[in-house]
Amino acid sequence: MSDTQWDAYEVFHQKKKGDPHIHVGAVHAPDPQMALQMARDQFARRLQCVSLWVVNSRHITETDYQDERFFAQWIDKSYRDPKAFGAPEKEEP
Amino acid sequence: MNAEKTYEEKLAEFESRVARGEKVEPGDWMPEDYRKTLIRMIGQHAHSEIVGQLPEGKWIPFAPGFRRKLTLIAKVQDEAGHGQLLYRAAETLGKSREEMLEELLAGKAKYANVFNYPTPTWADVGVIGWLVDTAAVVNQTMLSQTSYGPYARAMKRICYEESFHIKQGYDAVAVLAKGTPEQRAMAQDAINRWWYPTLMMSGPPDTLSTHSQQSLKWRIKTKTNEQVRQEYVDLIAPQIRALGLSVPDNDCHVDEKTKHWHYTQPDWDELKRVVNGDGPCNKERLGVRKQVHEDGRWVREALAARQRRKEAVA
Amino acid sequence: MSNTLALQSLLLAMADDELMLGHRDGEWTGYAPILEEDIAFSNVAQDELGHSLVWYTLHQHLTGKDPDAMAFERAWNEFTCCRFVTYPKGDFAYAVVRQYLFDEAEQVRLNAFADSTYLPIKEASVKILREEAYHLMHSQGLVERLGDATEESHRRMQTAVDAAFPQALGMFEKLDGEDELIAAGIFPGNRDLQAEWLKRVVPVLNGATLAVPVKDPNGSCVIHASPDLGGRKKNHNERLKQLVDDLQAVYRIAPGAKW
Repeated sequence: MSDTQWDAYEVFHQKKKGDPHIHVGAVHAPDPQMALQMARDQFARRLQCVSLWVVNSRHITETDYQDERFFAQWIDKSYRDPKAFGAPEKEEP
Repeated sequence: MNAEKTYEEKLAEFESRVARGEKVEPGDWMPEDYRKTLIRMIGQHAHSEIVGQLPEGKWIPFAPGFRRKLTLIAKVQDEAGHGQLLYRAAETLGKSREEMLEELLAGKAKYANVFNYPTPTWADVGVIGWLVDTAAVVNQTMLSQTSYGPYARAMKRICYEESFHIKQGYDAVAVLAKGTPEQRAMAQDAINRWWYPTLMMSGPPDTLSTHSQQSLKWRIKTKTNEQVRQEYVDLIAPQIRALGLSVPDNDCHVDEKTKHWHYTQPDWDELKRVVNGDGPCNKERLGVRKQVHEDGRWVREALAARQRRKEAVA
Repeated sequence: MSNTLALQSLLLAMADDELMLGHRDGEWTGYAPILEEDIAFSNVAQDELGHSLVWYTLHQHLTGKDPDAMAFERAWNEFTCCRFVTYPKGDFAYAVVRQYLFDEAEQVRLNAFADSTYLPIKEASVKILREEAYHLMHSQGLVERLGDATEESHRRMQTAVDAAFPQALGMFEKLDGEDELIAAGIFPGNRDLQAEWLKRVVPVLNGATLAVPVKDPNGSCVIHASPDLGGRKKNHNERLKQLVDDLQAVYRIAPGAKW
């Protein structure tokens, strides 16, 4: 059997309820349950934390930095920008 | 699309991005030398953390008092944590943790030379936390600005934790400096032995280092080795003297004009010898790391095998 | 209170246990099978030492004796830890099994203290229990996984259980003055605690395919192993002497000094 440092699991950390989960790094773990424990010891031993998510790194699908077209926008979509419209008028007292 | 640009065009674009202070992320195009240099640097940094656990970890069983014992376990735990973060940063460049560890244990990878020195007394623990970690933080604060995203992010977290280590180390030595004559002598002796090894931590003067010029251009590092060394001495020399202890360098004094501390260069030939494996503890520490790795093999394999079985059935 | 001496011996036994186990756990920092487990075990070591400090502090409220003095100045043959926690760290299988058996004992003891008539113990237990839940998750998780993962892991784990189980029974050795404490409602006594402990550990170990020298004829547990007793009576040997020599080595350089 070949030696292994186990799979990598990406770790997402929520500081308090109401906050989004933020990516903080990865742990090597043999399975998802142990990944949660390892994530707690590595990423929450000092930081306040109410929730952790772990995802095996191979399940992350990502965009390619080198394909700029994925995020490119040419057609004017300023109608999506709040600054493109005036604010409501108010009745004078 | 990128595939249509020439190598020169891609390199020029990369270099101007980096010069503007932009970050490089794992999926970005990068010159092969940049990738290789970073893997080497980050790997060495990671190896330093885990080899560095040993000189201090050795004193956990002997730590005097609850507070010191708890603090030391926490510190050495942090070092494992830093190693973990750094190996991960290097993994984003395409090299597995297995490979990096195998290289280290085969004696094919380097790590910070400062961890090849022995820790014969309790005072060494405090002095390492104070002097070694101060030098490390000066270097690492600079590295927090590095162009490679994952390394910069790891460095920020590490610097935050190292700042506690410095305080813990300083506190342990200050107590000795103000203690019994025996405790005081222990502290001074440790400082005498660690002064030059910590001066060497920021690397040889840049005229001697082949890697430095390229690293500066690509903002892998943002200051020269000598700049970092000067910063360290300016910080630590007055702290040592404030405790009534002395710096083991008769030439160490403030230059009235520049306001910087003048110091004697360490013996760079000694560095070469020690880095190439001839130091007092190289063999012993790598030997321990190898043994630990071997002893733990059955655990790693067992837990991996069990998970594979579960996934096969699912 | 007539229970004071008995209470002191209870607190001291727990403090000494946690100190020694925390000391042994601390020997894994830098030596664990993988980085992540190094970090995890260091956490357990710190917690155990922290817990010993809690019990030494309660002991101090009754005796005036400083925790550092109790741990770092007492002679080796004055400690009342069970022998179980003094054995060397062993291989990882032994470490995991020992930690698991100890964590379960803490669970039953601390849960029992939730009903204690002695308020300081009750309050301390509630706090410690919260931290202990994670310890148990960690050690039990490893026992369940390593028990039957591979032939080698099973073999090592079984060897560890064979060694550790009789040693662990020493955790429940009867204390001096225990009957008074039971009568006063301070704690239910070691016999009851051991029975509770068996109900928890036997199914978990068996579930991990590990054999335990316990039979259950007609609903009452029969143990086919010689418990490793003597610790509570300060009946120790060279092994503890060596441990205490290490523990106190630096402290003794300048006794009474600040470190």
